[in-house]
Amino acid sequence: MASPSKDGRPGIGWALPAVVFFALFAVVPLVLVAVLSFTTWSGLGSPEFAGFDNWVTLFHDPVMIKSLWLSVLLTALGVVVQTPLSILLGVWAAGPQRNRAVLSAVFFVPLLLSATAVSVLWRALLEPNFGIPSQATWLFGDGNLLGDRTGAIAVLVLVSTWQFTPLHALIYQGAARAIPAVLYQAAEIDGAGRVRQFFHITLPQLRNAIITSVILMVVGGLTTFDTVLILTQGGPGTDTTITAYYMYQKAFKGFEFGAGAAIALLLVVVATAVSLVVVRVSGYDKMAGTKEGM
Amino acid sequence: MKTRARFHRAVAGGAALVLGLGLAACGGGGSSSGDSDEFHVLVYGDAGNRVEKRLVATFNKTSEVKAVLDTVPGADYQQKLQTVINTPQAPDVFFNWGGGSIQPFVEADLLLPLDDMMKKEPGLKSNFLPSVFETAQVDGKSYGIPMRGTQPVLLFNNKKVLADAGVEAPRTWDELLAAVKTLKGKDVTPIALGGGDKWTTMMWFEYLYDRVAGPELFKKALAGEKDVWDGADSRKALDMLRELIDAGAFGSNYDSVKFTDGSSPALLASGKAAFELMGSWAYSTQREADPDFARNDLGYSNFPAVEGGKGDAANLVGNTNNFYSVRKSTEHADAIAEFLKLMYSDEFVEEQLAIGNLPTTTNTDKFLDAADNPEYLKYQYDLVDKAPAFQLSWDQAYPPKNMTPIYVAVQQFFNGQLDPDGFIKAMQALTTV
Repeated sequence: MASPSKDGRPGIGWALPAVVFFALFAVVPLVLVAVLSFTTWSGLGSPEFAGFDNWVTLFHDPVMIKSLWLSVLLTALGVVVQTPLSILLGVWAAGPQRNRAVLSAVFFVPLLLSATAVSVLWRALLEPNFGIPSQATWLFGDGNLLGDRTGAIAVLVLVSTWQFTPLHALIYQGAARAIPAVLYQAAEIDGAGRVRQFFHITLPQLRNAIITSVILMVVGGLTTFDTVLILTQGGPGTDTTITAYYMYQKAFKGFEFGAGAAIALLLVVVATAVSLVVVRVSGYDKMAGTKEGM
Repeated sequence: MKTRARFHRAVAGGAALVLGLGLAACGGGGSSSGDSDEFHVLVYGDAGNRVEKRLVATFNKTSEVKAVLDTVPGADYQQKLQTVINTPQAPDVFFNWGGGSIQPFVEADLLLPLDDMMKKEPGLKSNFLPSVFETAQVDGKSYGIPMRGTQPVLLFNNKKVLADAGVEAPRTWDELLAAVKTLKGKDVTPIALGGGDKWTTMMWFEYLYDRVAGPELFKKALAGEKDVWDGADSRKALDMLRELIDAGAFGSNYDSVKFTDGSSPALLASGKAAFELMGSWAYSTQREADPDFARNDLGYSNFPAVEGGKGDAANLVGNTNNFYSVRKSTEHADAIAEFLKLMYSDEFVEEQLAIGNLPTTTNTDKFLDAADNPEYLKYQYDLVDKAPAFQLSWDQAYPPKNMTPIYVAVQQFFNGQLDPDGFIKAMQALTTV
């Protein structure tokens, strides 16, 4: 079964472990969550069939609708802030000098920390009476960052930027290193400056990397959870209650597992749809490989 | 039970949901284990387990049927309990907060009413302070025996700051308002509030509603009479809170501050704030963070009286205690009754006091002199002993799904996103069944 087939390609049997894993840990849970979303269940007794109740409630729930907007807003802000930053950082780090290698190693440290540790750290740093804001009142005023809608959203964007820019910079670094040097040599002969080289050679050559990175940011952004749990707990009020956190609140704080399952499923649908849109709009699906012979 | 992996909170909801579903599917309400000569006791895992371990050991020395203690780390306790309670792995006896925290279990017919047990052993009721004991009653039946220390909410202060400002611990609401004004003039935040935790903000509502409307209002609301939220008393309480907030009593950045990370206690200890309304555990929090402050300058008083209010100035709010409840299908009710009798034994009281908990048994006061902070313990014990009413925290009194809506409403009222009408509407939307 695992032997190569006639045309020399690996037999289908090789896919079996992955398929079984995927079915067991992705497909089966997804189906069960879908079933659960049509029930009410507090964790006690057996789930009771509730028809479309959870779904109807969900679409009339102002917090739910607000949470979707918030998720999209946070994701969009993340893409807008992180993409230019990580392209610049990645391209810079792709250069040959030795100090860049050392510095970029330092830049990658945030990536190694867990989101929880990062959030706890930032929460302490931004404490209004004892943290940074108390030392820089000219900038922060009373330091009410996490207790204010705009401030809390800004902090969430800042923290995820701080943590995930290194990952995306890494992607761009790799992609930038793969750009053939002859292109730059030719440009230099033609008299193009560094800025021109960046916009006419580097950026177009990074196209595939940009799409990869944006898809990762979109999916990651829509499912952000830890930072909200630790930094704001969805507050002030419901101002940072993003969809993933709302799901957690419903299911694991309120023991409304049916409603939680419906939110989870909705999130899966939205995240899948958004990444499909990104793939479509960018033309990623039609893109031919640039390698010879593929 | 111990070998089952603890699922991390951040794991996608789906996996945990499925695990729960799987557990529910194989649950049939059978007995907790194959062994017929033991029963399982599930408790919230923390430093307090030291006492629970000792008591189980004491019990097992003389009993034929052995008790087995299982602990679940604090943050996961309620989730874990709700997941296993009607499976074959369910505990026979388990820790809870009384009130709304056990109501869903009572409705699902999983709990044993302890009234028969108490008829045979009257001590199981008579040895506990009544205001505490009542917390674990649902529909007139008793479902819990107090098993740790009581945690009334007190108005803590920094004695030094008060002395510098020439202010005394306020006995009335007007004195509190006056103190706020004086303290503001001295450039001190009058009241520290860790609003980021949300339950901290809720405690101000609990007390003011109690003082203005009396304990009846909340009792009625909890029984499903939603009109009471829209009454004159309710509106008066909200207006008074508004006045306090607008007077700048809490400063302006309280929602960025937390109690749980030590920030609001530090505000009090460092003298940047003068008061903090907090559960009695604040004493040990301060003792750990700043022993000198706790010893010399940490003052405390009961919540101020409200002139013309319906609530007795001696009423308390907070966590009355934790309780042991018994699962209905247990095979060892008699042995468990014997085990529960230990909860008012001398050994229990001494051990709890040794770790800083204040038990709510009638014999507790005998042992207070021997404790290392007798003055504070006696003050608390007297308060609890004499309290005509002791209101369990709102978030624990209501069934769990209301916790988030309550937190959102109190936070939004404080920061001005909700006016009184909005707050009243939010409270009326809570579910009581």
